[in-house]
Amino acid sequence: MRASSTSRGTSARTTAAVVIFVACCLLSTIRLIRDAPNPFHLKVDDISQRSDQRFAALQKTLPNPGVLGYIGESGNSALPDYYLAQYALAPRVIDHSPNHPLVIGNFPSSRPALPAGNLKLIQDFGNGVLLFANQDSN
Amino acid sequence: MALGLAVVLCLASGYLISAIGTPHNSLKVSNLLLRISLSPGYGLGLFSLIFFGARVICLSNVLLPDFFIFALLLAGYILIRPRTPVCEPQPSEKSSRPVWLSRLVTAAFVIALCAALYASILRTLIHPHGEGWDAFSIWNLHARFLFRGGSAWRDGFSPLIPWSHPDYPLLIPAAIAHFWTTLGRESQVVPALIGLVFTFSTVGVLFSSLAILRGRFAAMLGTLTLSATPFFIETGTSQYADVPLSFFYLAAISLLCLNDHERRQTSSSNPKGPLALAGLAAGLAAWTKNEGALFLCALLAGWILTSVGRSRSQSSTAEDISPPRTRGNSFLFLLAGMVPVILVVVWFKHSIAPSGDLFLDKWMALHKLMDPNRYRIILEWYGKDFLRFGNWSLIPGTIAVAVLYFLSGKNEKIECKRGFRIAVITLALTLAGYFAIYVITPYDLYWHLRFSLNRLFLQLWPSVIFLFFLKVFHSREEICTL
Repeated sequence: MRASSTSRGTSARTTAAVVIFVACCLLSTIRLIRDAPNPFHLKVDDISQRSDQRFAALQKTLPNPGVLGYIGESGNSALPDYYLAQYALAPRVIDHSPNHPLVIGNFPSSRPALPAGNLKLIQDFGNGVLLFANQDSN
Repeated sequence: MALGLAVVLCLASGYLISAIGTPHNSLKVSNLLLRISLSPGYGLGLFSLIFFGARVICLSNVLLPDFFIFALLLAGYILIRPRTPVCEPQPSEKSSRPVWLSRLVTAAFVIALCAALYASILRTLIHPHGEGWDAFSIWNLHARFLFRGGSAWRDGFSPLIPWSHPDYPLLIPAAIAHFWTTLGRESQVVPALIGLVFTFSTVGVLFSSLAILRGRFAAMLGTLTLSATPFFIETGTSQYADVPLSFFYLAAISLLCLNDHERRQTSSSNPKGPLALAGLAAGLAAWTKNEGALFLCALLAGWILTSVGRSRSQSSTAEDISPPRTRGNSFLFLLAGMVPVILVVVWFKHSIAPSGDLFLDKWMALHKLMDPNRYRIILEWYGKDFLRFGNWSLIPGTIAVAVLYFLSGKNEKIECKRGFRIAVITLALTLAGYFAIYVITPYDLYWHLRFSLNRLFLQLWPSVIFLFFLKVFHSREEICTL
């Protein structure tokens, strides 16, 4: 009798544990649904696609393999801009340095600053994408 | 058309690998589900290896080796499959637990799974290029180098772009590039689908392996825990490699435990298929991310430690009746699964990838090892992230799991099977290895912890859930008393 009531007590405790556990999981499921994008207002994040489009014209001009230099804007977006440029221009390797014969200028949100004396503009592709020749690096 | 063919070949090859390695004398739905859930991971792993091999030997047509490997696997499967599948008796799951509790858990399981699917699809739709930086700055960038590079594909592993982690292995990039090559152009759908597939394959492996070992009730609770971890869904759909890595960790660990189960089921022979598959999963983990190599070493160390411990104690329990020679054979099967992939990883690291950024300054690393303050900081972060890494709502999943453990009254001492012990040691050693990497990291410690610790915990989370429910429901009969 005693054993039976102990077993019932354990079973009730276990049932309670499962119910509490399920409730905790469902709370997080609610969060998952709440944080999910609104299916009626889907705003597609196409940042890398736009970056690919910005560099499309330059992409066609450049020799396929090889290493290119890079100059760009400063500030918080400098690093993502550089990464996106590398992503768009693969399979060329884009070194964040102007010390290469060909240097890419990436100025998506500001007017390009006048390049240092050793950089000569070859072509402006629009949208802040420029190609320079480094006259000191041969 | 070509893409559809490649998808079919990938999944079919993955299925054949799983079917060769898992018990094939059973018609049980859970076994079938396990094979189906394992197939995308093994298929993608195989496809990445084929593509990498084709790139190395400058082979442009990848469909040819795809067909060849598929034909080999098919022949292997036909040779070893039994003529008449045996219909195993289904273990009864009648229990004294209230019917309403079973219905509650089933309903919660279905809701959580549907919610995970809903959130995953919507997140994939609005972030087709992946969310965060890892997708385009590492994995998809490497895929572009492999696809666009032609004979110059090795340029993608240049030390001039260290931020792209050129030392990272290539399972994800090479699998993506394989499908792009078959398609003849780049499509963002490919990496997005691979992210989704790995996320839900992990859920499938967790459900099916728990269902085989502990019954449907435990399987639903385990899957509910994983599906209700928002960070798992977010990371999986962000095209990060942490969820694919967690898939291979879980596959290796669940197959080790299934091997114990199969040894009990089949009295006449000692099945080795699950061990070879576990080894292959560990190898593919090392081909997915550098952390996978640590896991692989931890698995080997776990195996050796349990073997040494068992030899010393000389305690022969029901599960330990195998003679030393058979145990040695088991180890060989585990190695046989992992060695082919290890060779590829070693060759990649030695011949193509530059040195990793973590071990560049060995003296500085030694100096950091002597700094007790770093240990304190890492321990604090381990404690904090233990409670928050899953982005749970209100109550951390880790706390919920602990509450379930203590309230369920299953804390009596139980004799654990060997596979379980190896799995626990493997995860503990992997966690300790992560700790050691933080101690010697050349980066700012707070920055490194802030941006990676939650993902490292996530890599282990599906395996921890699996082992937890294996422990709490320590036999199929145990479920009946719940």
